This record gives sequence, C-alpha cells and structure tokens, in this order.
Amino acid sequence: MAGTLEPHLEALRRELPAAGPAVLSVLLALLAVAITFLIWRFVQGRRSSRKAVLLLGLCDAGKTLLFARLLTGRYRDTQTSITDSSAVYRVSNDKSANVTLIDLPGHESLRLQFLERFKAAARAIVFVVDSVAFQREVKDVAEFLYQVLVDSTVLKNAPALLIACNKQDVTMAKSAKLIQQQLEKELNTLRVTRSAAPTSLDGSATGSPAQLGKKGKDFDFSQLPMKVEFVECSARGSKGEEGDADFEGLEKWLAKIA
Amino acid sequence: MSGEGRWQGLYGGLLAAGDPLAMIFLPQERGGNNSFTHEALTLKYKLDNQFELVFVVGFQKILTLTYVDKLIDDVHKEFRDKYRNEFQQKGTLGLLNGTFDFKDDFMRLLRDAEESSKVRAPTVMKTFEQSLKSQKTVKCMIETRGEKPKEKVKNKKNKGSKKEGIEAVTAPGKASAGDKQPSAAGEKEELTKDEILQKNREEFFKRHMKAGEKSRSPKPEAQKEKGKKPRVWDLGNSNAKVLDYSNSATNGSAEACPVEEFDPDIALGDRNREPGRLYDLEYESDDEAEEEKVIQNPSKPSAKKGGLGGMFGMLKGLVGSKSLTREDMDPVLEKMQDHLIAKNVAAEIAAQLCESVAKKLEGKVMGTFTTVTSTVKQALQEALVQILQPQRRVDVLRDVMDAQRHRRPYVVTFCGVNGVGKSTNLAKISFWLIENGFSVLIAACDTFRAGAVEQLRTHTRRLNALHPPESHGGRTMVQLYEKGYGKDAAGIAMEAISYARNQGFDVVLVDTAGRMQDNAPLMTALAKLIAVNAPDLVLFVGEALVGNEAVDQLVKFNKALADHSMAQTPRLIDGIVLTKFDTIDDKVGAAISMTYITSKPIVFVGTGQTYCDLRSLNAKAVVAALMKA
Repeated sequence: MAGTLEPHLEALRRELPAAGPAVLSVLLALLAVAITFLIWRFVQGRRSSRKAVLLLGLCDAGKTLLFARLLTGRYRDTQTSITDSSAVYRVSNDKSANVTLIDLPGHESLRLQFLERFKAAARAIVFVVDSVAFQREVKDVAEFLYQVLVDSTVLKNAPALLIACNKQDVTMAKSAKLIQQQLEKELNTLRVTRSAAPTSLDGSATGSPAQLGKKGKDFDFSQLPMKVEFVECSARGSKGEEGDADFEGLEKWLAKIA
Repeated sequence: MSGEGRWQGLYGGLLAAGDPLAMIFLPQERGGNNSFTHEALTLKYKLDNQFELVFVVGFQKILTLTYVDKLIDDVHKEFRDKYRNEFQQKGTLGLLNGTFDFKDDFMRLLRDAEESSKVRAPTVMKTFEQSLKSQKTVKCMIETRGEKPKEKVKNKKNKGSKKEGIEAVTAPGKASAGDKQPSAAGEKEELTKDEILQKNREEFFKRHMKAGEKSRSPKPEAQKEKGKKPRVWDLGNSNAKVLDYSNSATNGSAEACPVEEFDPDIALGDRNREPGRLYDLEYESDDEAEEEKVIQNPSKPSAKKGGLGGMFGMLKGLVGSKSLTREDMDPVLEKMQDHLIAKNVAAEIAAQLCESVAKKLEGKVMGTFTTVTSTVKQALQEALVQILQPQRRVDVLRDVMDAQRHRRPYVVTFCGVNGVGKSTNLAKISFWLIENGFSVLIAACDTFRAGAVEQLRTHTRRLNALHPPESHGGRTMVQLYEKGYGKDAAGIAMEAISYARNQGFDVVLVDTAGRMQDNAPLMTALAKLIAVNAPDLVLFVGEALVGNEAVDQLVKFNKALADHSMAQTPRLIDGIVLTKFDTIDDKVGAAISMTYITSKPIVFVGTGQTYCDLRSLNAKAVVAALMKA
C-alpha cells in the first residue's frame, strides 16, 4: 500500500506548488469547510442523541390529549392518531432544559412500527394507561408493556419509565397502586408464556432470551434495569375542558428527567 | 393525521364516528376506494400527503349524495390554500395552538355543492302521445293500407325502425341509439319527429323501388310485438349467420374430415422407451442459473442506455424537493407489483397493495437524496409489515391459562381444504402444549377420510411415549376422543368438549375433515360445528404453496361461517396456521395474501413433519424475504 501511495504523493507534492497559489487557497478552503462540517455533525449527533420522551400506550389512553395539554395547556378534541407528532417541550421552572415530546399512535398495527423508529432516541418513556378501562384491558396493556420492556434497544439504553395512570377524573378509575399490582402479576405470567412461544422463523429468537426481572422470584418493577415510577394524572382535568389538566406529578417527573 | 382534531364540522351532528376513523386508514392498505361504511354512516375520505391531512365526510348511508366527491375536493383545496402558511412554517406547536376557523367556508362550499347537484333538472318523461312510438305506429298503418297487411307491416316496421335506429346513430353528435328510453329523448330533440318520419318515408319508397333487394334485417332483434324497436348496437348489427365463418360444407359431417396420415413416430415420440415404464422428471439446476444470467445480460445494456437520461433525472431529483406524482410512481409500482406476484402474492392483492401505496405517497414531498424507487420501496415495506402485524393478541398459552383458571377446556378448531396439513400440525401443536404442561384431548371429528382416526391414534401413542404419565404427575397428557367413521362431526365435538370438562383436560383440539370451499353442504356442516360448539379459537390451516387460491378459500370459508351462524356477531376465522413453509424458499407471498384477506394473524408456521417443526411468524424476516430481489 505504502509503495503505491508514494509515487502519488510525490506527484502531488510536485504538482501543488506548480498549480499556483489560487488553486492552493481554494483547496485549503474546501478542506476547512469539510472539517467544520464533520465537527458540526459530530456535535449535533452527540447533542441530539436520546433527547426524546416517548408517549406510548394503548389506543384511547389519552396520549394525544396529554401531549396537547403539556405543550399548550389547552384542551383539544382528538382523533385516533395514525402517525407520530413531536414538539419541543420546555420544562416550566428551568428555562434551559427542554425535551422533545413524541406522541406515537397506539393502534396495534402501527405501534410497533413507530416504536422501532423512535426507540433509539428515547431518553425516557411515558406509558399512558387508561385507568377506567384498565380492568378490561389489562392483558393488552401488559402485552404492550412487555413488548416495550424486552426490546433490546430499550434494555440497553434503560430509559426512565413512567407509567401514567390517566383518566383519574372519572370516578371509576383505578388507583396507581392497584394498577401496579395487576401489571406485575400479568407480566409475571407473560414472561413465562412468551418465552415458551415457538421460536421465530429464521431462528433468531426475538424476545425470548430477554428475561424480565429475576428468574426465581415473582416479577417486580424494581427488578428492571431502569427506574420505574407510577403517577396518577388526568389530561382532561377535573374541571373538564375549560380548566387545567391535573398532572403535576407528570410535570415534576419531566423536570427531573430533562 | 397526528390525532389532533384540527377542525370538526359537526354539520347535522352526524360525524361522531370516533375510533372507526382509524379503521379507515389501516384498511388504507386494503384497497383503492376511498369510502367506508360504519353503522349507519358512509364515510368518504381524502388524503393530503404533502401536509399530512385527512379530510373525512360522513353522511347517512341511505342517502346517495352525488356531490360528496366534489365537495371533498373543494374543501381540500380551500383548506390547504388558506392554511398553507401555518403548515409550512409553524410546525406542530403552531398546529396545536392555531385556530382553524373554517366553518363559514365549509358552509359556503356545501351550499355550492348542493346547488350544483340540483342544477341538472331531471328530464321529464315524455307522455305516450309525444313519443315517436305512437306516431310511428299510426303513420305506418296508414302507409301500408293498400298492401299486404301483416307481413309487410312487420317487415316495414323492421326496416323502418332499423332505419330510424341508424338515423339515430348517424345523427350528428347524438350517439345513443336506444330510442326506447325516454331519457334519450332529450338528446334527440334536434331531429324532430316529422323529420324522422319524412326520412323514413323516403327510404321506404326507395326500397320499394328496388324490388329484388333483400335487406338483412336483424332477426333476433326483430319485434316480438308491434311497435318495439330493436336496439341497434354499433357493433352488433349482424346476426349469427353473418358471424358464422365456418365452412358449411364440412361442419359436422364425419366424411368431410380428410383422413390424415397417422404417423406413429410423431405420436409416440421416443422409440427407445420401454413400454409401461414411468420415467422421472429430468431436472437440471444448471438451466436455472443459465436462465438467470441470460435475463441479467439484456437488462444491463438497457440500464446503460437509460443511464445518461437517468443521470439527469436523478440530479434533478436530488436538487430541490420534488413532490411525487402518479406518473413518477407508475413504472416503479408496476415493477413492484410484478415482483410481488412473482413471490406468490395473489394477483389482486398485489394490485390493491400497490394502489394503496400510490395513494399514500401521492403528493408527498421527497427529501433530498432519495429516489422515487427507494421511497416507493420503503412505503411498500412499511405497508407489508403493517399487514403482517397482528391486530389482536396472539398468545395461545395465556388464553389457555385463563381458561384453566375458569375450569373449562380451551377449544381450538382446525379447518381448511384437503391436504393442507391439519392433522400433522394438530399433532405438532399438541406436542408444544404438552411441553408447556397442559393436558390435551384430541377430538377426531374427521369422520370421512380413510385413516384419519388411525392417524390421530398413532400421534397420540407417540406423544404419550414422549411424555409418559409418570413424568407429569400421573396424568395422561394426551388422549384421543373418537367415535369411528360416518358419524356427525358436530355431535362428536360437543361430546368431546363435555368429556374434557369432566375429566379436567386443559385443551381440546378438534380436527375436522378437509373440504373444498365450493362444496356447500360440507361448508354448512363446518359452520354448524363451529356455531354449535363455540370454540375459543378457530384456526384456518393453509399451505404456503397456495397462490391466488388463498383468496378464494378464505373468503368462502369466512362467508360460510358468517352465513350459517345464528349469533349477532358470528364466529369467523380467528387465526391462520401457515403450513409447508419449508417447501418455499423465499416465495412467501401466501402469508401476505392470507393476512390481507382476513386481517387476522398467523398464529403458527409449520416448517416440517416432525414435532419440533413449529414456529411463530417473524414479520420482518418475511417482509425482507419478500422485498429481496
């Protein structure tokens, strides 16, 4: 290699002075621009990696309304999302800290696709749970949560996880403690059944070696590599559409994360 | 699209569809038409891919409003133009904060649309006196009074009406010849009745002069009753006689066929073969490689030729943001459609898929450094993954555990056409269940096929040998419930389920006979079995080798199940078992066809004949195999 390079370098060295100062200066300028560009990209990459907070959850959990409330404070009528939306959220007390909130659709056919796209950039995950319909939907909630937790990228990055028990303004809403217990029980069963599922087609067993928590003991959220918190909130707010949303716990957690 | 309701026109309070709105967009992968019915409403939608907007109009299903399409187009244009700035500059926060006061504009557009649909006044039906028919009959009668009455009259009617028809055809600009319809009257008003009659009379006299000429009147269209005019089609003026080009001399007579020289050499072909022996198929894999090389070579020079032109196009596409048009995407989509069909996706499904991808991408602004091909491929890949992603949970073990807790057996029914592998995969699934500690009762409801019961008995024996009762706390893990041949399958299934409940079995696997989807009595019998026994899971077993047939099979099976069920929400196919997956290399299109039709997940994949050859579907791997060139 060095042998082939040598004559080329020689040729270059001979030609450069001969080309004249104008060409030389142009070449130097180009080199400077290239270096600046590379440095800028590198810095960008460092800064923007993992600045996102993902809003996940089942369909109709209240993610989009929560998103709107956090950003604008106002109530909006929402429809089922079919694509993601993202915006920068400034933490209230600390002006400099800001995170990018990303609201992902909850529909079964779309959720995994969008999770794939954004999971690498996630610094924290807010998993929104519909506290009213929880009893009915506990299996689906647990299944989605399981899929999020055993994902290899999520396990590697270990983003902070907040489980927001939404719709607390309704009287029949379950408390965060109850939701935590039920989820733990359900996830306990799920890790047994999921790991026993037939292996995937191409042999790469996706998800089955990842064992949630410790083997011998019952599943507990404290066994996970990331910090998990439960918080109650209400995106609609107790005063309905005119008033504010009740989510101080959520805001405080976001401030902590940023 | 991101879920915030930008503006909701609750005109008439009809639009309260809610979640079904999302259903519009997932069946977006399901075909080209842009309307959708939900309960009493019909929803028509339009996508704007550039700004990621959706426009939905809902109206009552019983109304047939003709101006909806136009209205939605107008609304789209106005909204987009009015708020173009907001979309382009302000981003998500702007969208959240902005108010979109579109109500007045919408009302105005709606009024315009309604009025425009009323402008075309319905044409008034002509009364009998006005119609040409009445005029004609009378006049004709008057004409032919002196001559032979009946036949002549009929003939003349023939000719006259035919002439009239032809007049109508040749009438400038008025093409419709069916003058039976009163609605066509509006178009023929230029030719007044008198003019027509005048012309007819002239023609008639002309004909009358030429004595020997016989005009071939259209016989089949000839009147069966007086006054009815034959409809004259442009291409259909001739009758069967005219179209019969066969030689009348030789048709049908045995002597007419000249006896050919029968050459036994040509007929038999290979002289050296041994009589009675069946030879193997000669298969050389080298041919395939050669064919591939041959195909590649012609494509290379064409790539070079298109290279220069393509370079400029590519450069143009690289610089600046281009929005995708239909013409750009068409060649790429055609290629992708052919590619999918080559991978064994059913033809109509490939067409619908490409159509929906085109709809999704139309008008979208491409980023820099992306080509049309890559964008389309990306979108198609996403659509395929989305199709394969189950819309309900696929966890059989979890549901079995649930049923266990309620002390009732979990019933799974296998159905499908003949020879797809129901019994084999039933054995594999029971092995898997036993490995996970559940006891299984196999119900032999295939009372028709010879050896079906024996096959299951052999499987049971083998499984019990593999998992003897001693290793599972003394209980037999698998047992066969059979009642021999010829009995009613639904009855056996019911008895098996109650037996399982009594004996405490966890799972009941019901094996049914294979049946063709066109065989109505058998489909009825299957539907009855499922309706009566209400299984927890109805699995359709389909083989991966099937091509376009998959569509027909699944549609007819679902239809049969829906038709014969008494319940409000009939039990349809809940999941698919894709078998013989090891026989296809990467032509995995059958998976797409099946999930597209039913929108139910593929629960298991069978990849061989041993008990361990049971897999679950990996959507990404399948899509990768599909998109691989």
